[in-house]
Amino acid sequence: MHQPLIDLQHISKSFDGTMVLDDLSLTVKENSFVTLLGPSGCGKTTTLRIIGGFESPDTGSVIFDGQEITHLPPNKRQLNTVFQKYALFTHMTIADNIAFGLKIKNKPKSYIQDKIKYALKLVNLDGYENRSVDSLSGGQQQRIAIARAIVNEPRLLLLDEPLGALDLKLRQDMQYELIRLKNELGITFIYVTHDQEEALTMSDTIVVMNQGYIQQMGSPESIYNEPENAFVADFIGDSNIVPGIMLRDELVEIFGAKFACVDKGFGTNRPVDVVIRPEDIDLVAPGQGALSGIVTHLIFKGVHYEMEVTTPDGFEWLVHSTDLFPVGRQVDIHVDPFDIQIMNKPASEDEEAMGVNE
Amino acid sequence: MSKTYRSLKQFFSNFYLVFILIFLYAPIITMMVLSFNTSKSRTQWGGFTLAWYQQMLSDPNIISALYYTLLIAFVSALAACIIGTAAAIAIDSMKPVTKTIVLGVTNIPMLNADIVTGISLMLAFLAFGISLGFKTILISHITFNIPYVILSVMPKLKQTNKSTYEAALDLGAHPLYAFFKVVFPDIMPGVLSGFLLAFTMSLDDFIITHFTRGAGINTLSTLIYSQVRRGIQPSMYALSSVIFLTVLVLLLITNYRPRQKKSIHDTDALSGGAFHKNSLPERIQKSAMAAAAVMILFSVAFITFKKYTTASSNELYVYNWGEYIDEEVVAMFEEETGIDVTYDMFETNEEMYPVIEAGAVRYDVVCPSDYMIQKMIENDLLVEINFENVPNIHQINPTYLEMSKSFDPQNKYSVPYCWGTVGILYNTKRIQELGVEPPDSWHDLWNPALAGEILMQDSVRDAFMVALKDLGYSMNTADISQLQEAKQLLIDQKPLVQAYVIDQVRDKMIGGEAAVGVVYSGEMLYIQEEVQNLGLDYELEYVIPKEGTNLWLDSWVIPANAANKENAEKWIDFLCRPEIALRNFEYITYPTPNDGAFQLLEPELQNNKSIFPDLDHLEDSEVFQYLGDEDDAVYNALWKEVKSW
Repeated sequence: MHQPLIDLQHISKSFDGTMVLDDLSLTVKENSFVTLLGPSGCGKTTTLRIIGGFESPDTGSVIFDGQEITHLPPNKRQLNTVFQKYALFTHMTIADNIAFGLKIKNKPKSYIQDKIKYALKLVNLDGYENRSVDSLSGGQQQRIAIARAIVNEPRLLLLDEPLGALDLKLRQDMQYELIRLKNELGITFIYVTHDQEEALTMSDTIVVMNQGYIQQMGSPESIYNEPENAFVADFIGDSNIVPGIMLRDELVEIFGAKFACVDKGFGTNRPVDVVIRPEDIDLVAPGQGALSGIVTHLIFKGVHYEMEVTTPDGFEWLVHSTDLFPVGRQVDIHVDPFDIQIMNKPASEDEEAMGVNE
Repeated sequence: MSKTYRSLKQFFSNFYLVFILIFLYAPIITMMVLSFNTSKSRTQWGGFTLAWYQQMLSDPNIISALYYTLLIAFVSALAACIIGTAAAIAIDSMKPVTKTIVLGVTNIPMLNADIVTGISLMLAFLAFGISLGFKTILISHITFNIPYVILSVMPKLKQTNKSTYEAALDLGAHPLYAFFKVVFPDIMPGVLSGFLLAFTMSLDDFIITHFTRGAGINTLSTLIYSQVRRGIQPSMYALSSVIFLTVLVLLLITNYRPRQKKSIHDTDALSGGAFHKNSLPERIQKSAMAAAAVMILFSVAFITFKKYTTASSNELYVYNWGEYIDEEVVAMFEEETGIDVTYDMFETNEEMYPVIEAGAVRYDVVCPSDYMIQKMIENDLLVEINFENVPNIHQINPTYLEMSKSFDPQNKYSVPYCWGTVGILYNTKRIQELGVEPPDSWHDLWNPALAGEILMQDSVRDAFMVALKDLGYSMNTADISQLQEAKQLLIDQKPLVQAYVIDQVRDKMIGGEAAVGVVYSGEMLYIQEEVQNLGLDYELEYVIPKEGTNLWLDSWVIPANAANKENAEKWIDFLCRPEIALRNFEYITYPTPNDGAFQLLEPELQNNKSIFPDLDHLEDSEVFQYLGDEDDAVYNALWKEVKSW
């Protein structure tokens, strides 16, 4: 195995006394597509800016391909950034924008011309060389920003919520575009977003962040299916998070009802948090499930119905189902053992934030 | 009904607009029209001419002032642009609270009264031992220009996308390269309009320049001001017209540019097709840079050149009234003696006094009036003249030396240069129409038949002189009951007076607007020539009232801190030569105390009693004396009562 491309070691950073990153460590392998995901203020953009060289960490170091670059200025780093608001140079033509980095590196004219052509082709904007920035749509501008970055052949491309300003349809198109680009270019992407769907669609690895800590890191499937704490479970998709008691291995009690599960090693009679995805709940006829309740809300969502089932203890279960159960109907709740995810209860709020880093 | 109402409304709003425009621009248009007037008079049209523009261009004083004005405006605007832009960038990156405070602080100089800024700058320069001159004006202009640049650059910075700078760094640009290539073009319109604003402000400034300038350097505004005493020459109207048009053009450019840029963008967005982006900003940027570089080199070269030429030890700093010497005389003096003369002008005695007192500029020879010389002697500001170096002193008629004793008791400090009287100027035809005898007494100014036809001097000592003389008192009295009497007399006269004016008396009288006016005799020659030139059907006569009048005397003195006293004495001696005094008389037209020069005049002029009155008849006349601050205050308080009655 060769060494990681990026290795962040014990990075801490605070602004005006507010801790933004607290002892964060993260490695990124060559040729991967890593997404930093989290709500605003979680430290994901700061992490990206530290890698890009626009901020320097208070403590800790940044290793790029085995070399310490913690205090190297941005213009000396072998990576490029695509900014949230594109940051194109509006007083230059598209061609001049793309050529900017190459001219600084004193590349020959013909080489630059070829690169511009190639990059514009790559982002599907051939023939736009002499257009002005202002005449392009948001999506086109974003593609130029990407073209401007990739002509420099960086080993690492940082993308800071690049699709944030685009509308839904364009955003979905651009997601595929980015995956295609990454595969064609074979360079490493670090991508920052607060949009969990974007993260799940594009990444090899998702890093979920909150309040300056990494909550969980893993493949999209593992993040979605096996959230390690309540924050991740809640942030990625919809979830029902309920208090439970782990009676013994593979058996958990929720609101007095016993559910079979697949988790082990939590001891006996231990309070835990239980995560159940709304699409994993089966509504069955009364008497056939472990818990009974009554349908209190119903919304048609297109691919499925979204329902709320209130159980006698007052908890409102979120349920996604393709079957319709009208409001007022008595139903029972059934969950398959492998759809139940057991998590340790955090002892304090701080511990909750620190998540699995502990 | 509503239709007529609407058209009426339309009419009034148009009328209002036109009215406002006239109100704003009538004065400027008047000045422009007068700049083409053959006659020097402000009320008579003598035909179209470009002579004043020619005169303006051939006057070395004006050209030098124009040069300094433009140089200072350009260099200060450029320096303010560099400093101000850097400051704006720093301020922009501050935290909101600090930003507000710092912006407030930088805005204060802009809101501050110019006079406060001017005086405090002057004090600061003196406190730090910086002698006033070109560089102090330049520093001052840079100082007051910086806020304007910050003000116009800040909004542009706010508009720019902060990440473009980071994007440039990210693409490998050095921070400086990134700034000039990426940030600067974005804020360029702001910098440019800041530059033009600063340039205009610098062109416009009088007060701050007035306080911070030193010997031998004038900008257009201070030059114009220094000429007010003799009446502003029409070439100044020409010059002012040119300045106005220049400023107007600059303002039009400033306001036009951003809109033009926006329209390019609009067409871009609309056309949608391949539209070659106009590289105008880059071109402007480059040529502006080139022009700036040339100007800086040029000015540096000039300043160094100036430094070397004035570094010679053989120099003389002269401080004189505006338009109070024939320029040729200065050149002749320089040529003959090899002394470099730095010639400077003031407009009033009161303006000259603090300059000498503060020692801000070390003048070698100054030409104040009688009472001011007395004040300067009392305050030890003058040094005795060594008359061995002034052999031509014998050319001065002893009468004037005798006269000088009222303020320079032993004739040790001063040498008379010009003198004159105050009297009544009257319109022969007009008083005949009014059925009034030609005046020969101050008392005639209280004749009810002349109601609305009298012009009085708008200055405290001159006005009280008229009343005190009429009452038979001394015009230098400090007796409060005499002064109260005089005050009452002036109040009684008020209903008869058309206006209290200073040098407009001349033009109003030439224009036939009033029958009688109190005037200084100095310009009689000019007035009579002008009446003749205009072919007017009346004559203006001058009379010295029988009760006696104010005899005034302007004399050369040497300040105590003069660095080139011997050169100053050479200067005084040179001006006492009959042929030189004659030249100056012909230029200034004020009576000369120089006997040698008088003998060279044509008999007709010698006998012109309005110019050279018989001194034997003037036994009741007096020379103004310095009364001291306390009595000055009494005079001023009483004059205020008269004016506000």
